[in-house]
Amino acid sequence: MIRKLLGATLALGLTTLPALAEYPEKEIQGIIQWGAGGSTDTVMRAVTPHAEKALGGTIVMQNVTGGVGAIALNQVANGDADGYQILFGAENPLLYKVMALGDKDYSDFTPINILARGIPILVARPDAPFNTYPEMIAYINAHPKDVKFGSTGPGGLPSVVTAMINQKTPIDVTFVPYDGDGPALTALQGGAIDVMPAVLGAAVEGIKGGTMKTIALFDTEASSALPDAPTIVSTNPEFGDLLPWGPFFGVFVKKGTPDDIVAKLTAAYAEGAKAEDFLALMDGRGFKMMNISGDEAQAFLAKWQSTTAWLVQDAGLTKASPADFGIPKP
Amino acid sequence: MMDVINNFLIPFLDLKLLSLVALGTFAGIYIGAIPGLSVTMAVSILISFTFSWDVLPAISLMIGIYMGGVYGGSRTAILLNIPGAPSAIATALDGFPMAQRGEAGEAIGITTVMSFFGGLVGIIVLAAAAPSVSAFAIRFQPRDYMLLAVLGILLVGSLSGDSLVKGVFAGAMGLMIGSIGLDPLTMDQRFTFGSTAMMGGISFIAVMIGMFGVSEALIQLHSMKTPGVKQVINRIVPSFGTIRKYLPLSLQSSAIGVIIGALPGTGGDIAALMAYDHAKRVTKNPEVPFGKGAREGLVAPETANNAAVGGAFIPMMTLGIPGDSVTAIMIGALFIHGLHPGPMLMVEQPHMFWFIVGCLTLANVFMLIFGLTGIKIFVKVVEMPRTVLIPLILLLSIVGAYAVNNSLTDVYWMLGFGVLGYFMRLYGYSLGPVILGVILSRLLDDNWRRAIISDQESLPRLMHGIVTSPLSLTLFLAVIFIFVSKTPLWAMIKRGRA
Repeated sequence: MIRKLLGATLALGLTTLPALAEYPEKEIQGIIQWGAGGSTDTVMRAVTPHAEKALGGTIVMQNVTGGVGAIALNQVANGDADGYQILFGAENPLLYKVMALGDKDYSDFTPINILARGIPILVARPDAPFNTYPEMIAYINAHPKDVKFGSTGPGGLPSVVTAMINQKTPIDVTFVPYDGDGPALTALQGGAIDVMPAVLGAAVEGIKGGTMKTIALFDTEASSALPDAPTIVSTNPEFGDLLPWGPFFGVFVKKGTPDDIVAKLTAAYAEGAKAEDFLALMDGRGFKMMNISGDEAQAFLAKWQSTTAWLVQDAGLTKASPADFGIPKP
Repeated sequence: MMDVINNFLIPFLDLKLLSLVALGTFAGIYIGAIPGLSVTMAVSILISFTFSWDVLPAISLMIGIYMGGVYGGSRTAILLNIPGAPSAIATALDGFPMAQRGEAGEAIGITTVMSFFGGLVGIIVLAAAAPSVSAFAIRFQPRDYMLLAVLGILLVGSLSGDSLVKGVFAGAMGLMIGSIGLDPLTMDQRFTFGSTAMMGGISFIAVMIGMFGVSEALIQLHSMKTPGVKQVINRIVPSFGTIRKYLPLSLQSSAIGVIIGALPGTGGDIAALMAYDHAKRVTKNPEVPFGKGAREGLVAPETANNAAVGGAFIPMMTLGIPGDSVTAIMIGALFIHGLHPGPMLMVEQPHMFWFIVGCLTLANVFMLIFGLTGIKIFVKVVEMPRTVLIPLILLLSIVGAYAVNNSLTDVYWMLGFGVLGYFMRLYGYSLGPVILGVILSRLLDDNWRRAIISDQESLPRLMHGIVTSPLSLTLFLAVIFIFVSKTPLWAMIKRGRA
C-alpha cells in the first residue's frame, strides 16, 4: 500500500514537474489571422522578434487564413489554454456573432496587448467635383446615386465609416464592393469609383503622390503622417461622439491561460511594442500606437464591439442583432 | 544617365548581391518546380527572414526567387505532367507529350530559352515604358475585367481536347468550385453547408495538384508494365534557326504577358493560358498538332509567364499598386525597409527602380544558366521505373497540398479531386478547363457584379458604357469575334467568300 502511494506521489510529482518549469520551455506557436504581406501580418512579424527577446523564447509565426479570420480564431480557441498558442488578430472577430460568421469572439480570449489602431480616412479621386466633406455631402444630395463609394463587404472599415456618415446625414450613393481596400484604392485611381473610406496607411502614399485626395480624416486629431489632412470634427463636430474609432491589431491567448503566463507575455509584448524600429514602422504606415493590456484592453474591446456592432446593426447590415448576444447599446 | 547605369549595375558588381540573386534564382527554380510550394509563399517567408537585413540584399534575394520560381513551374509540368505552379498549366499540355516521346531535353531547352526571352521583353518594357503602361493598365474598369474574364472563358475552346461539350462541362465545374466559400463582396456563405472549414473556399492549388498530380499517378497505374520512356539527348539549346522561327510568336506572347501581368487583377497564369490560345490561333500548320507535343505550345505560355514578371513590377514601381500576389508582398517588404512604394517612389528614389531592373536582368541571366545546366540529370525522372515514379508523385502531391495552408483539409480536397480527375480523364474530359474555370471564377463573378452595380444595376447603362469606351469596345468585339469564329456560321461566311 505504502509502495503504491509512494509510486503515485512520485508519478504525480513527475507529471506536475514540467508545469513548474519556467515558461516558455518550448516553442510557442503564433497564429496570424491574415495572409502574408497584409497589414496584420506585417505588424505582428515586426513586433514579435522584440517580444521574443524580452520573453526569452521562440515564437514560430504561421498564417492561417480564411473565413475573415475565423479559421485561425477557432484553431486557437480549440487548443489548450497553456500559453503555447498565441492568436495575432485584427478587429474582425468582434463582429463574427452579429455577422453570423461564428459563435466565438475575443470574449473567449485574454488580450495580451492591443498594439495599435488604424485611422480611417475618406479619400476621393483627384478630379472628383468636391474637395471637403461638406462639399461632398452637398454634391451627393444634388446628384443622388451618382457618386460611387468603394466598400469591402459588411463589417469592414468602409461599411462602418459609411454607417457613421449615414447616422449623421443619410446619403444616397452607389456602393461598389471590392475585396479589400488595396484593390478598391486601385479602382479609385483608375476612376472606377469616386470615394473610398480607407485606412490612412493604405492611402498616404497615393495622397502624397497626387493620385487621390483627402476629403476628411475620421479622427479627433490630425495625424503626423499627413498633418495637412482636415479632421472630420473640424467641419462636422457631430462625429465627435463616435470617434476615435479604428481597426486594431491585438495579441491574444485563450481564456483560462494561467495568470503568470499571461503576465509574462503581457510584459514581453509591452516591451516589444516600445522598440525604436517598430515604432518607426507603425508611424510610417500611419497607425496610431496604443500598447495597452489588461483591464484597459478589455474595456477598449468592449467599447469597440458595442459601438461598431450597433452602428452596423442600425445600418441594416447585420444578420443577427447585437442584443441577442448581450452586446450593450453604447 | 550615369546614375541610371550605376544603379542598374549595382547587383552585377557587388559580389554579395550577385550571389544573393544567383542563390534566389536557383532556389526559386526548385521552389517553383514543387507543386504547392509557391513563389508567393517563399517570398512571404523571406520577409520575416530578411527583416533585419538591408533593403538591397533582401530585394535581390526576393527577385531571384520570383524570376526562378515562375520558370521552375515548367519543370514538373514537362517531366511529370504536374504543373509546379498555375502559370505552367499550359506548358504541360504540350510539354508532357514531348517528354513522353523522348524529347524532354529539347522541351526543357526551348522552355528555358523562351522564358529568358520573355523575361527580357518584360524587363525592357518595364525599363522603357513603365509609366505609360501603368497609366493604361489602371484604366481597366470592372466591366473591362469582366470582358477579359469572358475572353478567358472562351479559352475552353482551346483547352478542351477532343470534345468541346465535355470541355464546357469541365469549365463550368471549375467556375462552380471557385465560387465556394465566403463571398468576399457580401460576406455571405456560398455552398459551405455551415462549415467553418469551407468558409475559406477550396484551395485552388489543392484542386490543381489533385487534378494533375494524383490523377497522373492513377493513370500511370494502368501502364505499370511499360518501362519509362528512354530520352534522347542530343540537342538541348535550341538552334538559332529554331529561335528565329518562333520569334514572331514569342514577341506576341511576350506582349500578352506584359499587359496581363501589368493589370492589377490578373497575373502570369491567365497570361500563359491566353498566350497558348493565341499560339493555337495563329499557328496554321504546326509540325506536331497542339496537345500532342507542339513546340509552339511551349513557346507561347513560357514567354508569356516570364514576361508577366516584368509586367507585374510596372504598376508596383510607378504607383505602388501590386501587379500580382508576389509584388503585393514585395510592397510590404519595401515598407518594412523604410521605403514608401507609391507614386512618389520613382520621383524620390529613382535609384531603387534601376536597381530592381538590374536585379531582374541578372536573375533572368541566372535563370538561363541554371535552366540549361543539369537537364541530363532531370530528364532521368521520366526514365524512372513506374514503381518509383508513382509513389514519388503521390508524396510530392500530398506535401504540396499540405504546404499551401498547413491544413490537412487541403490534402483531403486534393485527394478527392485527384480521384475525380482520374475518372474525368478516363472518360475523355480534359482537366485544363476545370483549372481555367477556378482561376477565372472570382475574376468574372466579382467584376460582373461590380460592373452592374456601378451602373446602378441597369443593363442598358452597362452596354452604353461598353460601346462608348474604346477599351471596353475592343474587348467586347474580341469576345464576339472569337465566339463567332468558333461557330459553324463563321465557316459558312468564309466558304461563301471563297
